[in-house]
Amino acid sequence: MTVAESPNLMVAGIGEMVLSSSADAHLVAYGLGSCIALAVWDPRTKVGGLAHFMLPAGPANGSSPVKFIDSGLDLFLQAIEARGAMLSRCSVKAAGAAAMLTVGGGLAIGKRNSEALESALRDRGLNLTASALGGTAGRTVQLEVADGRFLIKSLSSVTEL
Amino acid sequence: MTLTLSEAGQTVVAGTFGRAMKRAGEALGSMSGQIIDVQTPMLRRCSAADVLVMAGGPESVVLAVYVGITGSMQGHALLLFSPADAHRLAQILLAGLLGPGELPMEKSNDILNYDELELSALQEAGNVTISAFLNELGMHLHEPVQPTPPQVVIEMAGAVLDAVLLDLMSEADQVLAAKTTFSEGGRAIDGTLFVLPRPDSLRVLLDALGAIGI
Repeated sequence: MTVAESPNLMVAGIGEMVLSSSADAHLVAYGLGSCIALAVWDPRTKVGGLAHFMLPAGPANGSSPVKFIDSGLDLFLQAIEARGAMLSRCSVKAAGAAAMLTVGGGLAIGKRNSEALESALRDRGLNLTASALGGTAGRTVQLEVADGRFLIKSLSSVTEL
Repeated sequence: MTLTLSEAGQTVVAGTFGRAMKRAGEALGSMSGQIIDVQTPMLRRCSAADVLVMAGGPESVVLAVYVGITGSMQGHALLLFSPADAHRLAQILLAGLLGPGELPMEKSNDILNYDELELSALQEAGNVTISAFLNELGMHLHEPVQPTPPQVVIEMAGAVLDAVLLDLMSEADQVLAAKTTFSEGGRAIDGTLFVLPRPDSLRVLLDALGAIGI
C-alpha cells in the first residue's frame, strides 16, 4: 500500500478543501502537524471531500474558506452535499492535530483543534468513524474517492483508516 | 494585530535582517570551522502556502532546529537542513571533538537516524546560529531579544512549520518571512534559516530603526 502519485491528485493546502466524485481522484493534504484534515465520503454516490483546517475559531475567510473549523465546517459539509452526498451515510475520518513543537502553546493548538472538530461534528449530528489525532508525528493524508480508503503516511509508516 | 509595511519599511527590515543573518552564518562557520557563504537574504510577505514552498514543499523531510524569539521582538526562527546535509554537518562538528586515536562514529544507512551526540551537536549549531542572529537584532533594537531553548525535530517541513504558522496566522492571512541559505562550498552543506516575526513586533523594530511611518 502506497500513497499514490497520479495526475488526478487534488491537493488541499492549508485552509483549503477539495471535492470530487471522480473514481480516479486522490484527495491529499500534505505535511499536517497541528493542522487537522477531515475526510468525508459517501459510499453510495462515491462523492468525497477533504478539508485542511488550521485553527478552531475565527471569521470566515474568502481565500482560505476552511482555515477555521467553526466558520469552515458548514461550508465544507454543504459543498459535499451539493455534490450529491448524504451526510448521514458518509464515513467521517480525521487526522492531524499533532504536537510537533512547544511553540506558543503548540502542544495545546493540536488538542484544541481536535476537540473543536469533534464538538462541531457532534453539534451537527455527526461522529468520527475513524481518526488518527494527536501524537508527535507529522502526517500526509489521502482520501481515495473510488473506495473511501483514508491513507495516512508518516515518516516511518503508511497506515489505512 | 497586523502592520502594513511599506516598501521602504520592508527595505529597512530586510537590511537589518540581512546583517543579522550574516552574523548567524559567521557563527555557524566559526563553530564548524568552515567558511560559510551566506546567500543574500530574502524578505517576503507571503501566505502559508508560500512559506511551505520556500521550505522546499510541505512533504520534504528536514532536520529542523526551532528557537522561539521572546523579549522586545517576538516570533519564531528555524534552521533547516536536508537529512543528508545534517549528517555531514554533524560529522564536521563532532570531528573536532574526537581525541587522537578515537574512532569516528559508525555511520547508519538510515539517513533519518541520528545518535544522541549528533542531535546534540546539531541542536547546538542551531542555537548558536540563531542566537547570533538575535544578538545582532538586539543591538539594533537597543533591547535584548531572547531565544527559547532550542528544539530539534526530524519531520516533514509542513508539519514543522504549521505550528509556527498557526501561531502567527490566527489574525492574519500573511506572514513576513525572512530566509537565507548557508553553503559550505567544499562539502555542499546547505542550511536554510527562516525568521518569522510576530506582526506587532515589527512595529517595535521599525520604531527602533527610526523607520516607523515610512
